[in-house]
Amino acid sequence: MSDPNLPVDEAQAPTSTETAPSAATNGSGTKWLSLRPHLFTLSEGNLFLLLAIIIGMFSGMAVVCFRITIEWIRLALLGSALAPPPLRVLLVPAGVGLVVAFLVQKFFTGARGSGVNQTKAAVYVFDGYVPFRTVIGKFLTCSLAIGSGQSLGPEDPSLQMGAGIASALGRRLKLSRDRLRLIAPVGAAAGLAAAFNAPISAVLFVIEEVIGTWSASALGAIVLAAVSSAVVMRSFLGGEPMFRVPAYTLGHPAELIAYAVLGVVSGVLSLAFTKIIAYFRPKLRALPEWTHYFQPAVAGLLIGFVGLRVPQSMGTGYSYIDQALHSQYTWQFLAILGFAKILTTSLSFVSGTPGGMFAPTLFIGAMIGGAIGGLEHHFFPQVSASVAPFALVGMGTFFAGFMRVPITSVFMVVETTGSYSIVLPVMISNTIAYLISRKYQDVALFDLLAKQDNMELPSMEEEREQIVLLVEDAMRKPDSPPLQASDTLARALEVAEASTEDVLLVRFPTGRWAGMTRKDLHAMAAGHSNETQLREVLSTARLPVLHPDQRLDDALRFIQGHEVLPVVSRAGSRKLEGVLSLPDILTAYQKTA
Amino acid sequence: MTSETENIVSRYVQRRVLLSSLLFLVMFFVITAALARSYHAREESLVLEWFQKGNAELANGKPALAIEDFRNSLSYGPENSQVQLRLAEALLADGRFTEARSYLVNLWERAPGSGEVNLDLAHVSMQTGDVDQTTRYYRAAILASWEKEPALQRRKVRLELCEFLLAHRMTNEAQAEIAGLAADTPTGDGILLEENGRLFLRGGEPSKALAEFEAALRINPRQSQWLGDAGQVAFEDGDYLKAEAYFSKSDRENPNPEIHASLLLVREILGNDPFLAGLSDDEQARRSLRDFDLGLQRLRSCAASGNAGLSPGQSQSEFQLLNKDAQDMQKRVTLRSLSRDPDLRNEALELVSRIEDAAARGCGPGTGLDQALKLIAKRHEGNNP
Repeated sequence: MSDPNLPVDEAQAPTSTETAPSAATNGSGTKWLSLRPHLFTLSEGNLFLLLAIIIGMFSGMAVVCFRITIEWIRLALLGSALAPPPLRVLLVPAGVGLVVAFLVQKFFTGARGSGVNQTKAAVYVFDGYVPFRTVIGKFLTCSLAIGSGQSLGPEDPSLQMGAGIASALGRRLKLSRDRLRLIAPVGAAAGLAAAFNAPISAVLFVIEEVIGTWSASALGAIVLAAVSSAVVMRSFLGGEPMFRVPAYTLGHPAELIAYAVLGVVSGVLSLAFTKIIAYFRPKLRALPEWTHYFQPAVAGLLIGFVGLRVPQSMGTGYSYIDQALHSQYTWQFLAILGFAKILTTSLSFVSGTPGGMFAPTLFIGAMIGGAIGGLEHHFFPQVSASVAPFALVGMGTFFAGFMRVPITSVFMVVETTGSYSIVLPVMISNTIAYLISRKYQDVALFDLLAKQDNMELPSMEEEREQIVLLVEDAMRKPDSPPLQASDTLARALEVAEASTEDVLLVRFPTGRWAGMTRKDLHAMAAGHSNETQLREVLSTARLPVLHPDQRLDDALRFIQGHEVLPVVSRAGSRKLEGVLSLPDILTAYQKTA
Repeated sequence: MTSETENIVSRYVQRRVLLSSLLFLVMFFVITAALARSYHAREESLVLEWFQKGNAELANGKPALAIEDFRNSLSYGPENSQVQLRLAEALLADGRFTEARSYLVNLWERAPGSGEVNLDLAHVSMQTGDVDQTTRYYRAAILASWEKEPALQRRKVRLELCEFLLAHRMTNEAQAEIAGLAADTPTGDGILLEENGRLFLRGGEPSKALAEFEAALRINPRQSQWLGDAGQVAFEDGDYLKAEAYFSKSDRENPNPEIHASLLLVREILGNDPFLAGLSDDEQARRSLRDFDLGLQRLRSCAASGNAGLSPGQSQSEFQLLNKDAQDMQKRVTLRSLSRDPDLRNEALELVSRIEDAAARGCGPGTGLDQALKLIAKRHEGNNP
């Protein structure tokens, strides 16, 4: 443990030589453990799965406490009415902003931001290490910020808290570095699943945005953690979906055109929202250090001013999303709410106030979606359905455009509303918004934020889009047909004479392949009769075979020690499709570069 | 340290951490449960607090304020159907039908058999002018379950439905609903029977209406209002004898100028109707002659007034033609001829009817005897006694 960033709790863990033997033999409370060594003896894989469940339970409870704390703070500071009294609206976010800024600057610097990038950084930079202090800081500062009316959400902080809890447990259990790296995403999925009451979306988000892999070991633990976390959360806060939506049926196929329009508008607006944050965040961060103590307060004051006219734009706004889903607002007012929320959320986020972007994104999406739906319904009542399904689709669409997680966004809408029938419009709309956002904004939001924080975290989106070179991209046709095992050495010498290949491939009736260089061939010819069949001289030789659809990266592992490898058809290994050599692979990579 | 020792130590640490984690998990569970319970209690109290506020605002006729209160209440108990229903009702009261409908449809999906929800949906559909939906929701509300006083609630809904159907001139459907309503009415409740009678009357079924009023009067024969209603129905049905009986009884029980005027009119009719059952030919002739003379006087006085009141489209020639017909008939009409010739009595009354119609259009509706003559003529219109 020579890492200077060693966490306090890990440093204080008992060292092996000091405490383990004595405790195991002397401590009455632990003696039975040593007497029954077979009990609780788990392989690291199994331990990891058990740990995932424990992490899920801890995260679920942490999120329950987090959400309740936010509500208690809101009740205490802003009162129980949805539209708080004007004086409180003006003063509370600003006043609490000062406190939050002080806490972040002085004690919990890791609590700044949403939490998604910090979790990614933990995985890729800090070997899965998330300080437990960050969990406490995130809990405190986000509860205060969101409870006081800052326009932020509890989901991303929950994700980071889950990662922090998982990381602390992993360190305590002295897991290997690989497992520790993996444990932060496991906790992240648990935190997000509980915050959203949406385990599938949480799993997908973590895979889509944080780890970018579907490996079985990671997936098993992530799913277990997400499910146990969601179960715990539901047992305390109820299992109802986050939003209740009226039943939806696609009335006419032409409705899909209306949803496509929503996709275009949401794509453009999500792009604008990203640009605003991307532009102002570094500008405010570059201001002198002392201003960071006041930025959340100033943002709070401005949000208060907006809140005087549009109180719906403060806080998480879940109740208002629910109202939009029940056609409670006119399309004009929905549009106002959407733009007001873009303003207040931008203020909160760029000022460095800790809190998440998920809830505001859903809010903006619902309002914009509802507004577009209302507008379309106004002009084309026969084509467009009521406002509610548009608000519903809008949530997912804006989320897809802003967060750039197209698959998660679809499942998130289904899970948070319990409405499966909406999936078709969501898919169409989300895809359009995602493509627009991707075309005009090269880097996804979280990757952009990481870059602004001088971190080069891997972009899952870029990895998904990377060109994967296959064997078929590098292989070439041999200039002579392969030799048969029944051919004689004389025949082989003839073929070698006519061929430019350095290595001659020999095919056996069983589908086995062998290779021999010219030098080998001449050596064999010198030691054997010309009528000797190749199968006699190549009885033990065997070449690995490749298939055209295999990744070129994988081919590299097989080609070690061979000058050339046969590429055969999957329909029968006797059919030669081409040959592949190391220079062929390098040429293919150079072409792509 | 050997790998064996490392392994033992590692396992020891794992067990210890796992056990302490489980212990901590239990403690955390207890704390979270306590926190959640206290929060839920607070939520419930807030739901109730805002709900009561909203109810008070709604009762004070301030639906806009009530909407805010119910929304506040819903933010702490989003699944509370009672609050959702009241919010929908407040929205309805505030004229925000689309918003109300959204909540109600949501409630309906969860409880399609709720009488209140169906009734509110009927109100929303009525406001949006969807007659079919309105009728459907009303009928569903009649069949649906009601928590309090189901029979009374169903009757109220049926009454509303009848009113709605009558207002939309859907007479056949209305008559069917009124019949259903009457069938379900307990026989001992005079007020409800009278209510049925009024509906039958409005539905164009005076005989059924009279039956309901008479059923009500069997319970309380001295109820002057019901007597008046029964008299009115009998009057409109042309049963002047019955009408006279009810009006006079009502007038005795509780003198009322309107009833009294009706009574006098009925008596005029009964005293001048030549075709009243049981009259001799001579009496019929006398009455016919008197009616003819009265008609003639009406024609002359109306013509003498200068026909200032000629209605649009009414020409001077109409009066001239009537006058000519009257003069022609006057030559034929004698007590003797009328006594011998029932057709002539009929012809005379028909002419009186035409005169009264023309005079009513040209000189305003007749009163007293003229009104009685018009009603007598109308009663025997097309009849050949």
